[in-house]
Amino acid sequence: MRKELLYEISRSVIAAVGVQNVLWAIVESITKGTKAKGCALLVLSQDGEKLYHRVSYGISPEYIGKGVIEVDDMIRCVLAGESVLVEDMANDPRIQYPEAAKHEGFGSVLSVPMRSYTGVKGVMRVYAGKQRTFSKDEIDFLDSIAELSGLVLEKEEERDRMALEANRAREEVSRMSDERERFLYFIRMVAHDLKAPLAAVESYLKIILKGSTGPTTEKQEVWLNRSVKRIDGMLELISDIVDLSKLEAGLDSPELTPVSWTEVLNSSVEVARGLTEPRGIELENDIEQNLPEIFGSEVRLCQLINNLVSNSARYTSTGGKIAIRAHQVEDNVEVLVEDEGRGIRPEIIPEIFNDFFKGDPESLEGTGLGLSICKRIVEMHNGKIWAESPAPGKDIGTLVTMVIPKGVVCSHIWGKPE
Amino acid sequence: MPKILVMDDDPDIIDALDTLLGGEGYEVITAHDGEEGLAKIREEYPDMIILDMLMPRLDGYGVYKALHDPQWSEWKDIPIVILTSVSEDVSHRRYELETGVRMEVAAYIEKPIDPDVILEGVRSILEA
Repeated sequence: MRKELLYEISRSVIAAVGVQNVLWAIVESITKGTKAKGCALLVLSQDGEKLYHRVSYGISPEYIGKGVIEVDDMIRCVLAGESVLVEDMANDPRIQYPEAAKHEGFGSVLSVPMRSYTGVKGVMRVYAGKQRTFSKDEIDFLDSIAELSGLVLEKEEERDRMALEANRAREEVSRMSDERERFLYFIRMVAHDLKAPLAAVESYLKIILKGSTGPTTEKQEVWLNRSVKRIDGMLELISDIVDLSKLEAGLDSPELTPVSWTEVLNSSVEVARGLTEPRGIELENDIEQNLPEIFGSEVRLCQLINNLVSNSARYTSTGGKIAIRAHQVEDNVEVLVEDEGRGIRPEIIPEIFNDFFKGDPESLEGTGLGLSICKRIVEMHNGKIWAESPAPGKDIGTLVTMVIPKGVVCSHIWGKPE
Repeated sequence: MPKILVMDDDPDIIDALDTLLGGEGYEVITAHDGEEGLAKIREEYPDMIILDMLMPRLDGYGVYKALHDPQWSEWKDIPIVILTSVSEDVSHRRYELETGVRMEVAAYIEKPIDPDVILEGVRSILEA
């Protein structure tokens, strides 16, 4: 009961004034309240063999500096829980610095254990100017205050330990984040080195197909074309991996600028036309002009729209239609890409934005990263993206909606731990 | 026939372009890095330069900058086609935005080389 009460008091007092102030108040009040000459709190060293001065009142710097107190039999008694009075400091053999005590004018000293939850923290000493005794009540009272001091010291240790742990955790997070960046850089470098030979091989294949090196048989032509397609797929995968690792590592600042939504969408429509026209797909666009500007990445926003259109184009057959619409709706810009493709099975809709997810795992087309890249780009711009299939009000096709707040400040590092 | 200087550190890209452009009757000269390329420009006075960006010793941007130095004024009007390695990706604009490098050049052409795209590009630039 006493310990709990003292613990509660120590907690609120520490919170109000801080550990050091509480300890000062204790030694000063004890000295004055018991009409003593001074009071000191001596803290036990980690190895339990010495006592160090922590805080005191009414004691000269010379006395404090007399030297370290070794834990001897008498102090061991105190640490075991007993209060020990030495009535004549100058002549009692148990005193380690009798000359200093005499010089300081100390007659007697009462040593009381500073208990805490986890053990004894040290010794509280009350020094009297002349030889005196302490009544049982006085000793009981001092014992309580010493225990309060012990609890305060324990609280301080706990706080220091927590600060140290927090510091360690911070260092660990920063080390992991450095490692992550190095790893992402490594992925980009590997990807880059994979691309160069593939590009050279594909260049050769296309020149052979062109006939610059002589005629090819029909079979050779089919296989060369298939090889080009497979290499294209591999190059696309590498590009997506590079993009993902760039998005994960955070964008470089030259990429982040004030961006006009209208310009992004208009230029995306141009790129999209290059995809849809050769396939005989109609491209409809309904883009509100003067859409608000945002601070973000023009490259990534264009990539976002292009990824969605190229996905749509992959699944929309000749004669079908893809629509790009964009409007300001309240404080957001809403961009919609709708196609008349074969749609997405309802059970896989929740998964389509996951890394490496492919609706048809057997398909050689697509990397399974396009939509996960889109999701990252939208989220970097504090927006949301989702898909509906069949497109609302229709029985075919897919509608992808993105809502990005206007005037958004792009959070340039995506998915970085806090 | 017009003379085209191809500058690329990838010997296979050089070989491919040499075969393709040579097959069309162009005179092709080659260099494997920017420094060798600048020396060839001085000696050969090409009608056009096809320039790779990532090269040892002196990269494509270094060559571009050198040609805009007053001491190279004699060669400054040779049209340049930048051959972007696939990592520099999709478009001219994207390249500029991602790298912060802006160049006034005749065209950007991507690797892997598409013979029709490069032949059409070369033809239209030389006719201009």
